Amino acid sequence: MTFIRALTGACAVALASLGLVAPAEAQTYPTRSITTIVPFAAGGPTDVVARIITAHMAQTLGQSIIIENVVGAGGTTATTRAARAANDGYTLITGHMGTHAASVPLYPKLAYHPEKDFEPIALLAGTPILILARRDFPPKDLNEFVTYVKANTEKLNAAHAGVGSVSHVSCELLHSILDIKPVGVPFNGTGPAMNALVAGQVDYMCDQIVNAVPQINAGTIKAYAIATPERNPSLPNVPTTVEAGLPKFQAQAWNAMFAPKGTSPAIVASLNAAAAKALDDETVRKRLLELGSVIPGPAERTPEALATLVKNEIAKWTPVLKPAT
Amino acid sequence: MADTMGHSATATRNTKVALGFCLLAIAPQIFELIWSIGTIFGWGTGRGPTAVVISHATALLAGAPGALIGAASGDTKKVSSEVLLALIYSYPLFVVAILTFFMTIRSAQDYVGGVVLMAVALFALWAGSDLQGMRGFSFGAGTAPRMFGGLLVALSAGIALTGLLTDGPPMAHYSWRGPLFVMAGILFFALAIRPLGLVVTGFISFMIAAAGSQETRWLEAAIVGACLTLGCAILFPYVLGLPMPMFPRFLAQ
Amino acid sequence: MELFANLAHGFVVAFSPINLLMCLIGALVGTLVGVLPGIGTIATVAMLLPITFGLPPVGALIMLAGIYYGAQYGGSTTSILVNIPGEATSVVTAIDGHQMARQGRAGPALAIAAIGSFFAGCVATVLIAVLGAPLTKLALAFGPAEYFSLMVLGLIFAVVLAKGSVLKAIAMIVFGLLLSMVGSDIETGASRMAFNIPELADGLGFATVAMGVFGFAEIIRNLDAGAEMSRDLVQQKITGLMPTRKDLVDSTPAILRGTVLGSILGILPGGGATIASFGSYTLEKKLARNPSRFGRGAIEGVAGPESANNAAAQTSFIPLLTLGIPPNAVMALMVGAMTIHGIVPGPQVMQKQPDLVWGMIASMWIGNLMLIIINLPLVGIWVRLLRVPYRLMFPSIVIFCAIGIYSVNNAPVDVILAGVFGLVGYWLIKHDFEPAPLLLGMVLGPLMEENLRRALLISRGDWSVFVMRPLSAVLLAVAAGLLVLTVLPALRSKRDEVFTESEN
Repeated sequence: MTFIRALTGACAVALASLGLVAPAEAQTYPTRSITTIVPFAAGGPTDVVARIITAHMAQTLGQSIIIENVVGAGGTTATTRAARAANDGYTLITGHMGTHAASVPLYPKLAYHPEKDFEPIALLAGTPILILARRDFPPKDLNEFVTYVKANTEKLNAAHAGVGSVSHVSCELLHSILDIKPVGVPFNGTGPAMNALVAGQVDYMCDQIVNAVPQINAGTIKAYAIATPERNPSLPNVPTTVEAGLPKFQAQAWNAMFAPKGTSPAIVASLNAAAAKALDDETVRKRLLELGSVIPGPAERTPEALATLVKNEIAKWTPVLKPAT
Repeated sequence: MADTMGHSATATRNTKVALGFCLLAIAPQIFELIWSIGTIFGWGTGRGPTAVVISHATALLAGAPGALIGAASGDTKKVSSEVLLALIYSYPLFVVAILTFFMTIRSAQDYVGGVVLMAVALFALWAGSDLQGMRGFSFGAGTAPRMFGGLLVALSAGIALTGLLTDGPPMAHYSWRGPLFVMAGILFFALAIRPLGLVVTGFISFMIAAAGSQETRWLEAAIVGACLTLGCAILFPYVLGLPMPMFPRFLAQ
Repeated sequence: MELFANLAHGFVVAFSPINLLMCLIGALVGTLVGVLPGIGTIATVAMLLPITFGLPPVGALIMLAGIYYGAQYGGSTTSILVNIPGEATSVVTAIDGHQMARQGRAGPALAIAAIGSFFAGCVATVLIAVLGAPLTKLALAFGPAEYFSLMVLGLIFAVVLAKGSVLKAIAMIVFGLLLSMVGSDIETGASRMAFNIPELADGLGFATVAMGVFGFAEIIRNLDAGAEMSRDLVQQKITGLMPTRKDLVDSTPAILRGTVLGSILGILPGGGATIASFGSYTLEKKLARNPSRFGRGAIEGVAGPESANNAAAQTSFIPLLTLGIPPNAVMALMVGAMTIHGIVPGPQVMQKQPDLVWGMIASMWIGNLMLIIINLPLVGIWVRLLRVPYRLMFPSIVIFCAIGIYSVNNAPVDVILAGVFGLVGYWLIKHDFEPAPLLLGMVLGPLMEENLRRALLISRGDWSVFVMRPLSAVLLAVAAGLLVLTVLPALRSKRDEVFTESEN
């Protein structure tokens, strides 16, 4: 039953995104299809989250939601474009921790400000971050890891997926907590970085759960801890950083939806309601959980909560990333 | 062939070539000047034309020699990008231009090709001059561009030398009509696709580009252009699903 | 045998009507995408990704895979007919393929490209099924040092394929390397030579430069006064559509060697397929009795690289299927497609999703069969296209290229840049510089620099890693040997060549 519903739902979205479905009868908003800019390539973690949730939102809103992937400069190209778009509620952006928080300290010449140029709509999902290491890395648990990394900083190589990537900024956070400056080896994306970790060419990295679960389960890499307050159902054996003794290391690659500044509160409210409804849908929840995502609870879904999150995240990343560039 | 060319012909060409190199040596400055004219009308951002002329003229005539003398006397204060442009790009090319007067060019194709490529390499060196170099054992952002920029300077000097030492073909003939109209068509496409949409832009660009050949028959071109535009309007957005504006913005609303 | 059981299972999956249809759609779209200049596979797969959400996962992936290798078939078509390579892998096909077209042999060139691709596709598919898992080790054995050495070797290939001056070819490679450095630096994120133009922040696109120096430049050159003659000649002397017996005999060894080379290099993530096609060309040129035919319409120069790039396109699925790690951007999109369907690819995907893996492998063979059935009859149609008067053809190509480039990033600046590179390309032609080494330099440049820096970071600045690691040392030795082989005769025959060179 759920399969058929998922299938028809997905079909409807597919057709709608092709523009083949006639628009529903005119309402106040939305009267035509909505475009959501995704600042990363199709198929990436942000894109997948955006697609799963907007597919359901489109049903609620009665209009198709077109995803436009605009890549470049760590997502800031697309975010700049969204900041300058018309604030009529027909151009939205699904940003993430990088575009709407870490970009502030990373790019001094940023053409937008996450707080001043956007109306927050809703937090969509959080993707936990893991501390990963090559299969034969000596430490057995996080405590040993901390001691080992501190003792051998000179010799170790930490991989990351490029400046500004989630893996880069979260590792910077880890390093600032441990107060070390190891050699960071940049790779061009998560795939090559994971490849190097599996092959044992680098020692450890921090990365989002989506990419890591299958490798951990297959035993090609190992995970020391998950940087969320609670354990994740897809990796029940991996302890949290709180349990493992590094409670300060808390990081999530969150995805959230924003509209350009000045979008009317009514539109924001209707989009927020649609997003909240999507997050309560069984199929949507199931798919997000399969990805290892953390689904925000009712209190975290409000625009106000997102505004606070952005503020806090900027405050959190600025001291970590400022000296790095 | 080079050996059929008379000596006097080579001499007049040399002057032309040398003058051409002088122009090339200040091409970026001229380009910025043309660009800056736009600011008078409020297009784009940047300095006005007068500011551009003054800053580059001072850099070329005073700043750069000053910096050279300064460097010789061990003074390491930071120089402006105009002075760097003059030092890294313009001066070497002026030197090449002066040398050109006294050379016998045996293959203009290779010689000019080498020198222009050298100009590109010098320009790249200047463009990368603000980047960080080696940081301990790790490469900085500027290390590789500088390495390859330097290598290209050497290689292009080698090519230019080949043009001096061995016989080869003279300069090829350039035509203007094809490049002009094809480029105009492309430029129109780029500028108009967003405001005017694929249908209008495609057709007009087709017609502009078609003017690049004297064989074009207008009626035939118009019919083919219309059919092609129609085909593209169906193919790209619908069959391949590429999002693209179709009609002029003022009509769509 | 477990293998046969698996394969049989795969064929059962792939032969279901829906999957056959998906495979056909993928092959057709792929061919179309390959043929249209500028529209890259990455852009198309990205665009079509949403459509696959409504499909069952196996069908969706079969279709996406079909687009990917279908584009390899289609890509050769534009390279041969109008000298516009749409992908880095078909740059080398354009060299001899287009010369063949100019000599009225577009038909045999297109046909041999399809036949070579088919053969290579079949072999590579079997290879994935039989040796997929052990070959994975090769992908893991390649660290930054090995990649750097491989890229150096790749660049040497570019020197060998040049038909004119070696010095000029090297200069073009270095020019390409410099162009590749425009944009953000991977390690520090610093903007390099981008002049604060936002569209340059991520560097120059391959499509932009390729459309410029090949596509637009070729058009402008053909519009030169006096060029009509050679153009009309092309249209009149079209001979047979299919390769002759001699063509087949000449091509067979090239296809075999190309397949082997492509299959091996395809497994390596990033740049493997490109190096495979250039490497195959180099190999053929070096082995040929009369290397001077290359660059002037040698059929081996089409057969080898085309087989290599299609073999590589197939074997590049190996890291995805056995490790769950996407080796290139298209594969990354396919991982995305899987994730959306709730399948997270990883090392265990073969055990957990036998339908998907074996169905896809079986479908690749079916897809290749479909592609050759689609492509061979199309040869006649493509060749007929050459009879369209050039006065109508060239504005059409301009429009197609412009739309294609625009569609990659929806950026008008890209179109203008391609125009500028068209002028650059025209200038290069006038000064007898070849654009192919430039493009190879541009494609391999970032990989080379990244891996060089990565290797030095890991070794803490010790350059000896490149010769201490055996695989890397071998690659560098081959590169050095090849360079010596190329430069020595060039130096020796310099005097004789000077006079014959000017006739080109």
